[in-house]
Amino acid sequence: MRQIIITLVLALGHCLSTKAAANAPAAPPDDLDALSLADKAPTASMQPARPWRLFVEGAVGQGKLRDTGSNFSIYRGSIDFRFDDHVAPQLRVVFSDRLDGVDSDGVPPGDNVNTLREAYLSWARTEDQIFDFGRVNIRNGSAIGFNPTDWFKANALRSIVDPDPAVLRENRQGTVVLQAQQLWRDASLTAAFSPKLARSADSATFALNVGATNPSNRYLVAGSYKFSDKFTPQLLVYGGDDDPAQIGLNLSGLIGDAVVAFGEFSAGKGTTLVTQALRIPEANSNQQRAAVGLTYTTGFNLSLTAEAEYNSAAPNGDQWHLLAESSQQQVLSTAQALQDLPTRSQWFLYANWKDMLVRRLDVSSFLRQDMQTSSRTLWLEGRYSWERAELALQWQLFSGPEGTVYYAVPQQRTVQLVLRVYL
Amino acid sequence: MHSFTATLAFAMGRWLIVLVVWLGVTVVAQASPDAQSILAASDEIRNPSRPFAVTVTLLEYRSAKQSDENTLTVYSKADNTSGQFRTLIRFVAPQRDVDKLMLKSGNDLWFFDPASQSSIRLSPQQRLLGQASNGDVVTVNLAKDYRAELLGEEDTADGERVMRRSYKLGLAAVSPDVTYHRVEMWVDATSSRPIKARFYAESGHLLKTAYYRKFQPQLGRERPTEVVIIDGLDPAWVTVLRYSDYAWRDVPDAWLQRDYLPRFKPG
Repeated sequence: MRQIIITLVLALGHCLSTKAAANAPAAPPDDLDALSLADKAPTASMQPARPWRLFVEGAVGQGKLRDTGSNFSIYRGSIDFRFDDHVAPQLRVVFSDRLDGVDSDGVPPGDNVNTLREAYLSWARTEDQIFDFGRVNIRNGSAIGFNPTDWFKANALRSIVDPDPAVLRENRQGTVVLQAQQLWRDASLTAAFSPKLARSADSATFALNVGATNPSNRYLVAGSYKFSDKFTPQLLVYGGDDDPAQIGLNLSGLIGDAVVAFGEFSAGKGTTLVTQALRIPEANSNQQRAAVGLTYTTGFNLSLTAEAEYNSAAPNGDQWHLLAESSQQQVLSTAQALQDLPTRSQWFLYANWKDMLVRRLDVSSFLRQDMQTSSRTLWLEGRYSWERAELALQWQLFSGPEGTVYYAVPQQRTVQLVLRVYL
Repeated sequence: MHSFTATLAFAMGRWLIVLVVWLGVTVVAQASPDAQSILAASDEIRNPSRPFAVTVTLLEYRSAKQSDENTLTVYSKADNTSGQFRTLIRFVAPQRDVDKLMLKSGNDLWFFDPASQSSIRLSPQQRLLGQASNGDVVTVNLAKDYRAELLGEEDTADGERVMRRSYKLGLAAVSPDVTYHRVEMWVDATSSRPIKARFYAESGHLLKTAYYRKFQPQLGRERPTEVVIIDGLDPAWVTVLRYSDYAWRDVPDAWLQRDYLPRFKPG
């Protein structure tokens, strides 16, 4: 009897294991090919990360002036350097600088401009309490094309070599500050004081230009709290001797797997853009600025952003058309210097396709549509990257009927070929 | 007497059947260990138990030719509440990407570029590393995000082309925040080593196959130091992930948030 039971049990166990073995799949041929390829993959020689980045960039381009219809040429050479490392266990040094030499017979004419972007010491008193001193690029804002809470962007640009919003955020002067940050597990509080160091900007090639970045005593307090993985709002308060207190809010969140929604708002007393540009005395009034949008990413890694932008301090269509042509130019150049919206409302559409069709080819484009005067600017860039070099072709067009915002831009179109080599 | 013997034989026969069935069930039960435990044991092999850092080199191939290479340093720490890992990724190479950062904590995904000092929220669908999704690079405890079911035992070829007795698990996502909707995973029946996995989209189509291989002693036990990822649609698109320089490395909780990214600079 016992023999029968053992035999039955063994038979049952054998049946189960045989059934499983019979179903065992061999590795598919494609998998074997891939594994063979991986076997032959070279063993990468690990280079330690360098604390610095240095590249040189050369550009040649051509543009067309709207007034005369004549073509102009652009030649540019740039050196870009960034260093970021610890010089002691709790002390970090950041230095970031760029020199642009531009030769052009267009508008504006070429010039040699050095931009000291950042130069500061950072001391970590503890792992969650940090102090900074020096020129720091303090940048806030969840939007892509227009950042109402990025107050230190005003007068920070010295040389515009690329209209891509990401590049404008990079190639600008920081402000000289004393800054402190306290961190908690799910929260952060930052306070910065930017003292008055000079009153007017300095256009000399190697000028530190602190008159542009530190024209008055200013402060910024920013706090954020992580309520959940999908929601971390940031609240900001900004003001100074010449700047009435402004309040700001940054929000972003996920909608499903492929969509990021964001919103950025600021409000406070201030003067209008026209009175600033034309230097007309005017009492402060309530002003609001906002940018709200969505970024959708497709399955093939194309990201599309639509952003609605609003600036109550900027002229509406009727106000813009009432301005003389020279005044329109002044408003436009003031808006560009302050990196503010030149008219009351705009749409900003941005597309970025990484590895478009072939690996390492990235295509980016934006359309800025002015809703007040029905004019627009369109920019398109194709950029191919090698291990230590990048080649980019950039094209920009300003279009609209006479008297509109983007018709007022002197250039009608530009095209540039840019080569960057990392050293 | 004959009747008694027949009755006894009948009763014994019934008991025999009951006994055989019981033993059979016991054998099957012994051959069917808890699927979730198998998955958790496999997770323990892939993921060190304490906060750690590791260097990941990604070699990407299209039609047998290398098309790209990236190097990252990955800092991982398990969240005390959820048990899931939170990860900071620092780009080490190529030169144009040096010091860029990615922070992933669940679906809270941020990208930081030190040049523009901007932190941008990413959606899970946005990929920064070619074929490899952001979820492929970060540390993941699958047992926290998936409900495992034992689909059977089978002999399967591992990444070294050696046949291994393995448990085949079917993983169904229990959280909407995961990278893959469904996973099939083969785990070595003897050692609990992960052998390979197939990752599927919600539509049911195969997204990629991953082989875990080149097991070496790292941070206290044998762990895979290479993962070969094969694209589900184009098998000639292959990414090799190599893991090196494993080290215990704590990261304070306060650092794993957006507002710390501009300051992250490991010494």
